[in-house]
Amino acid sequence: MINYKRFLLENGLKVLVHEDKSTPLIAMNILYDVGSRDEDPSMTGLAHLFEHLMFGGSVNIPDFDTPLQLVGGENNAFTNNDITNYYLTIPSENIETGFWLESDRMLELDFSQKNLDTQKSVVTEEFNQRYLNQPYGDALLKLRPLAYKVHPYMWPTIGMDMAHIRNTNIDQIKKFFFSHYAPNNAILALTGNIDYDLAYKLTQKWFGPIDNRPMKVRNLPEEPDQTEERILTIENEVPSTALYKVWHIGARKSHDFYTLDLITDLLAGGESGRLHTKLVREKKLFSEINAYITADIDPGLIFIQGKLMKGVDIQNANNSVNDVINSLLNYNGIHEEIEKVKNKFESSTVFSNTSILNKAANLSFFELLGDPGLINDEVQSYRSVTYEMITEAVKRYFTSSNCSTLNYISTRKE
Amino acid sequence: MNNLQRIQPPVYPAEKVIIPKAKSIRLNNGIPLYLIEAGTEDIMRLEFTFRAGQVKENIPLLSSTCNMMLSEGSQNFSSEELNRSLDFYGVFLNQSAEKDSAGIVLYFLNKHIEKVLEFSHEILFRPVFPEAELNALMKKRLRWYMVNREKVQNLAMDSFFESIFGRHHPYGYQIHEHDFEKITPGVLSDFHSKFYTPENMAIIISGKIHSQTADLLNSHYGHIVLKSLNNEAFVNLPASEKLKKIHVEKSGTVQTAIRIGSMTINKRHNDYPGLKVLDSILGGYFGSRLMKNIREEKGYTYGISSSLSSLDLTGYKVISTEVGQKYCQKTIEEIYREIRLLQSVPVKKEEMDVVRNYMSGEMVRMFDGPFALAESFKSAWEFGLDNNYYYSLAEKIKTVTPDEIIELAKTYYKIDDLYEITVGSE
Repeated sequence: MINYKRFLLENGLKVLVHEDKSTPLIAMNILYDVGSRDEDPSMTGLAHLFEHLMFGGSVNIPDFDTPLQLVGGENNAFTNNDITNYYLTIPSENIETGFWLESDRMLELDFSQKNLDTQKSVVTEEFNQRYLNQPYGDALLKLRPLAYKVHPYMWPTIGMDMAHIRNTNIDQIKKFFFSHYAPNNAILALTGNIDYDLAYKLTQKWFGPIDNRPMKVRNLPEEPDQTEERILTIENEVPSTALYKVWHIGARKSHDFYTLDLITDLLAGGESGRLHTKLVREKKLFSEINAYITADIDPGLIFIQGKLMKGVDIQNANNSVNDVINSLLNYNGIHEEIEKVKNKFESSTVFSNTSILNKAANLSFFELLGDPGLINDEVQSYRSVTYEMITEAVKRYFTSSNCSTLNYISTRKE
Repeated sequence: MNNLQRIQPPVYPAEKVIIPKAKSIRLNNGIPLYLIEAGTEDIMRLEFTFRAGQVKENIPLLSSTCNMMLSEGSQNFSSEELNRSLDFYGVFLNQSAEKDSAGIVLYFLNKHIEKVLEFSHEILFRPVFPEAELNALMKKRLRWYMVNREKVQNLAMDSFFESIFGRHHPYGYQIHEHDFEKITPGVLSDFHSKFYTPENMAIIISGKIHSQTADLLNSHYGHIVLKSLNNEAFVNLPASEKLKKIHVEKSGTVQTAIRIGSMTINKRHNDYPGLKVLDSILGGYFGSRLMKNIREEKGYTYGISSSLSSLDLTGYKVISTEVGQKYCQKTIEEIYREIRLLQSVPVKKEEMDVVRNYMSGEMVRMFDGPFALAESFKSAWEFGLDNNYYYSLAEKIKTVTPDEIIELAKTYYKIDDLYEITVGSE
């Protein structure tokens, strides 16, 4: 059970505090309710580029990292489809420096041209390193626009075209900041060796004076139901053929999120998952195969992706994946497997929540979903999934008309 | 409130790190057991470590394959039964074989400790290395290998190790496609019986330790008979290759991987703590000189770092980055320029303060919680060291002088001694 207290500043900043005196550290997490889904289609990648700029100096502090390192702190950040999340850990005696740093960059950035130019180059190298210079690195760049036709989840967080990044100017950056970064669009979580009273006092002192701001109203196009199977086949100089399949699912808060999460664990959780057991170990069709769901706030996807063994026909591999999915409808032996993945989920939740950073990030994200108490309900939600719910979900979501398939064919001669 | 001065609040010096001592006992048969009490949850991390790393192998892939095959079937359970059971009890099993040691780590809820001990015993001491599972594993590994050989960072690291440790030494030799055909059940069981033995192992357990924890371990592991055989293979020392500059051509790549470094001292050497500080200044953290210069000033890369690693027979330091192809030569020049600066110009007090405080904070993180504690314990213990190593590191972080940094840079970063590997398309 993770105990926490919650308060709201007048300017709209939501704050969560969880005391854990077993550590000498404090974790501070700030979630901004802005992600790549909030970008203009002609300026994709801006939310992530912006995350880089947040380290390049704020209105009163020329450099974010050095003062933090001076007090023994460490920090990082990530951007995804939905949120931009900043976090740091710091020995407890110096936590006030964390408040000073984070509040200053919420107040205002210094918007330096030099920093923008450098970070455009850094992000381009990041794109090259992750997407272009890795075998299969571009698969998701092809798959997203196959699955999404109108919703902004069609582009990756880093941006769909590096030209968008190159063309960004300071005025656009300023506009993005003032329409997305503000206390009323943020959630602050503090976990670890901190008293609630101190957290309250320091939050009031450093974040209290920041005015709230009018935010851009989110009005995203809804992805229409997919009605036909989509298949894209590409050829590339990679060592072996790979298969990627996705199916549309509901939003993060929809009632069958945990059912689908459990289904992907039956399929691919651990060494004993069905896909691995059947297709890697028994039939030897794949060298590796994985399944997961995205935890996107808007309707997301189930992913199954694997790399084929040499000489395996892609159609055969594809049919075998479908057979394994359909095998979930068979009653035999599945109850023990369901119990197994529930136990594993419980265990992994307990382990994850030993980290103050994970606790801070989870509290923030669940607050964004509307209830930080979900952090304590997850295991129960997952445990309450029944066999009937599983079969119902398999029939509903794993249909061919709801599926997009990317055949990534190796052209290499061996 | 509105006249708040937005200046840095007072900076308090890091509190002295106090490292909980591991309780050291021996099982009835002499196997060393270390218990580290920490954390608030009823969970445990249990590690079995053996002197069974690559350095002990006489053919490539033997040590790692032996380790991976441990869970592929035992006298009493098939691989499927083992995997399914561990998953059923919510156990996370990590198998790993490194350059010196190999073993397994299990993470689990305390209530399942008896099951964990039963299955770990099967995995470690009763593996049967079935041929069908072995063939399937080697075919899979060959596929993984082919994918990894497409990545410039892997090619660069393999070539770096080959250069600094020598092409014939197990620390250094590269893997080739035909190596995947040479492993048989026979060589695996031979390797296993020589190196996965009670006299070659230690157990490290951390988390919420209970009064009966040690007894439970004794009842499962304390009766295994010691063989008192001395199968210690004679190990050659690594010897670097002569050629210091290597370019591996990899067509169609947009970034070039760079590795620059050499063999160096390890943790047992008195200069090591000071060298750790020098390494941090150069490239060991986000505020390091390489990161500031190559990424934050010039934007040539997404990341650049330097690191210092200890092995049983030696140590090594390496600077690693992937940069846009057109920035490769400029990056290499800047790396050498930064090293020369450290050899000639004293580090200013402000920078020393930042690195001292950053590293002191890192030390707090190294001993925060049961998992971090166990890992830190092991990485000193493996070298015959104890907490005093960390206390002297903490002391050195506070007291090392700019002049000492210059001396260390001159002694350990002689530019003529450094190996330079690039992988990409020219």
